[in-house]
Amino acid sequence: MGPDGAPSQSVPWRKVLWEWQPFPDNYVDQRFLEELRRNEGIRQYRYWAVVKEAGFVGQQLSCVAIFITLWLYMEQGLLAPETLFWTSLTCALLGYGLYQALTSQTESCSDHRTHLADSQSAALFLSFTFGFSPVLKTLTESVSTDTVYAMSALMLLAHLVSFPYAHPSPPGSLSLNAALFASVCLASRLPGALHTFAMLTCALLVFALWPCLLQRIRANAPGQFTGVCVGVCVGGVGGLGSQSLGGAVLLSLALVSVTLICPLLLVRLQRHKDNIHGPWDEAEIREDLSRFLH
Amino acid sequence: MVLKIFFPQCCNRAESGLLVGRWISGHDSAVVLAVIHYPFIPAQVKQYIQQMQAQSRVDLTVLGSWSLPKDGQEGMESFLRDLSTIFPQERWLQIRRQFGKTGFSCEVLSRDQICGKNPGEKAEKKKKKSEEDGGDAEREDEEKVIFVHYEQRKVMLSQLHPVEAQESGNGSEPNSELRQVFGTVARSQPLFVLDRYDDGPLRSTHWQSEGREASIVVELLKRASVPLGLLLGRMLSVWTWICSARILSVFPLRFLFSKLSTCVQLSYRTERLQTLGAPQAAPQAAAHMDFMRKANVLVSVLLDVSLGVLLMSWLYRDQNIAMLASNMVPAADRVAQKLEELLQWLMGAPAGLKMNRALDQVLGRFFLYHIHLWISYIHLMAPFIQGILWYGGLSACLGLTFALSLLSDMVALFTFHIYCFYVYGARLYCLKIYGLSSLWRLFRGKKWNVLRQRVDSCSYDLDQLFIGTLLFTILLFLLPTTALYYLVFTLLRLVVVLFQGVLHLSVDFINSFPLFAMALRICRPYRLAEGVKFRVLCEEPGTALHLLMEINPLKCSSVVQTYRTPTYSCYPRDSWVALVKKLFIGELIYPWRHKTTKSD
Repeated sequence: MGPDGAPSQSVPWRKVLWEWQPFPDNYVDQRFLEELRRNEGIRQYRYWAVVKEAGFVGQQLSCVAIFITLWLYMEQGLLAPETLFWTSLTCALLGYGLYQALTSQTESCSDHRTHLADSQSAALFLSFTFGFSPVLKTLTESVSTDTVYAMSALMLLAHLVSFPYAHPSPPGSLSLNAALFASVCLASRLPGALHTFAMLTCALLVFALWPCLLQRIRANAPGQFTGVCVGVCVGGVGGLGSQSLGGAVLLSLALVSVTLICPLLLVRLQRHKDNIHGPWDEAEIREDLSRFLH
Repeated sequence: MVLKIFFPQCCNRAESGLLVGRWISGHDSAVVLAVIHYPFIPAQVKQYIQQMQAQSRVDLTVLGSWSLPKDGQEGMESFLRDLSTIFPQERWLQIRRQFGKTGFSCEVLSRDQICGKNPGEKAEKKKKKSEEDGGDAEREDEEKVIFVHYEQRKVMLSQLHPVEAQESGNGSEPNSELRQVFGTVARSQPLFVLDRYDDGPLRSTHWQSEGREASIVVELLKRASVPLGLLLGRMLSVWTWICSARILSVFPLRFLFSKLSTCVQLSYRTERLQTLGAPQAAPQAAAHMDFMRKANVLVSVLLDVSLGVLLMSWLYRDQNIAMLASNMVPAADRVAQKLEELLQWLMGAPAGLKMNRALDQVLGRFFLYHIHLWISYIHLMAPFIQGILWYGGLSACLGLTFALSLLSDMVALFTFHIYCFYVYGARLYCLKIYGLSSLWRLFRGKKWNVLRQRVDSCSYDLDQLFIGTLLFTILLFLLPTTALYYLVFTLLRLVVVLFQGVLHLSVDFINSFPLFAMALRICRPYRLAEGVKFRVLCEEPGTALHLLMEINPLKCSSVVQTYRTPTYSCYPRDSWVALVKKLFIGELIYPWRHKTTKSD
């Protein structure tokens, strides 16, 4: 009932303002909220499904950690650039084979790139990186090391933030570019041109090609996806642990919070969700009050 | 309505007679131009007025009568009244001046009163609608006339501003009353030719009635200017014929001419001189503008040439040219040495900035080699410099502006290396800025849509992204080095451009400053009028209001604005913001034409 009290008349109240009615302006009757609906189209999450999806975020975090570990090894001279290069190449070939194998199982060849185009791309990567590596080596010579580290950290963070976790197959421009920028910055700090070249190849592998493969695995072999994620996470923590224990602890804490605690919070907090829908336009308060002044 | 009578001051003490003048159409006012004295024969007066009307194209009429009683001239009242029947008019003014009073008294008689009045009756002071009772109407009549005294000579000579563009003779009269008054007085010049030494049957009073002035020198100059003008015109036509020869309009020559300020100045001067010989425009206002323009051009050319001759007399005295020439090569050497030092400094760690060493070395060596080339060129030229200066100095006899333009060109030639550095630096910088801006879009996964002129999102291939990022990183880290070189050379270039800009500006000033109009404004302020102001002369209770009309001279700033000769720098120029923007994105800036930086 309206605050002003309704006159008991036989005329039914209508929810219109454009015609005169024998009711006060602020009068409403019981039918007013009939059409209110709550939480329309809500999806009920299940904890383990969410954890499985969050595994992708965790493994991306671990990938960054693995890359940093490799760079640390290179900088200290513990890892020869040739070794890294050949290992990366082998991994790339293996991964490519796996990728093809997973493709031939299910998909048709409608949007399929030819082997020739792939090898062209690979040749382009390799030649450009090799050609530019001396330039890249001297690029940040005069920039202070702190600046380079800060820039790399910022860029890697930007990579993680802007990574398209839902559809990573063509990697997002900003995330890939940020990661590549960071790796160029880091690689230019290494002692030799060949180091730079190997590091960049590795970066390409980790940041550009690995997400494509992982996405393919997630789509076509969901059973193995969890195992791969766990493997990468363990690899990342272990690798970082061999260089700095503190870093490993921090990483594992981050992984736990991202993959276990955050999904728990999501599922818990979902009970408090309260969205209302109805056949009305939401009131939109504009901050522009100047028109009331005159 | 108040009847305004514009009355010339020179007629204040005129003998009694007829007022000749004109009723201003559309306004309730009359302009008195002259007084024709007694005795006269009415037919001769009518003939004279018709003659004047034909000559001046002003519809002159007899406005009324004027009486200044002298001893033994009593009882003219009835005679004056009778005159109105001889010269039939719509309205008849009867202005009377009395002894012991400064003001005039005026009666206005309309036609029906004139016709219907009884000759023997004493004249009544009446106006058109004076059928009502006497006392009130009388006082009203007295108040309804205002005398505006004006100085006839000044009003005749002055031009009211702003000048109206198309005032085509008698066809369409200007609306403003003041404009009509000025126009009437200016156009009735033939009326003022009659002076006291003429033997005609009529005598009149106006500003020139005491006799006309003339100067022998002016007459002689007028005589002499005709053959001189003919000679100059012939020479000018020969010169323009040479200029219009087809061989000069071939592409490279034309391009060169448009860039050399001497040639620009030459063509400008030719064009101005050609306008001197153009026929005079017909309507009065246009004729005035035309005359002023020509006079301005002539005076500024004369001043220019005299300044140039002064400069020449200094140059060719005491071996000044040889001294200049011998100083020039060491000066160029010194500039080159300073530049070399600057480059050495840039190749180290300038101001503690950390630049890319490899690129720094490459750029520095490139520019050093360029300076080396330039010095050899200067030394090769050294023996000829004195000759060049000697012959260049001759151009000063054409005017100071030519000497200044030549100086500007020579500065441009002698600082050619700075220009080259600037162009290299700017091109490199521009390339980097463009590359970086497009790669930054790629970095964010966007692209520039040319068709829609906006930034769209775009999904790139892996290899595109990879190479783009690689190049972006490289360009970003090399940018400071390039930017520093660009900055230094742009500053050098700006110094040169500023110097040239000052030269161009002074040339432009001499070319366009309305010297004649300014001199006219200072020596004869009434010639260029902006308006008028009124001063109350006398306000006695019994007589009409007397006002003195004085001419407001045009403000100096508007003199310059109105009579400025248009030159090439009058075109809209880039603003400072646009200039800074151009400098930022590395676009080239030039001192010539209407491009930039002449706005000092």
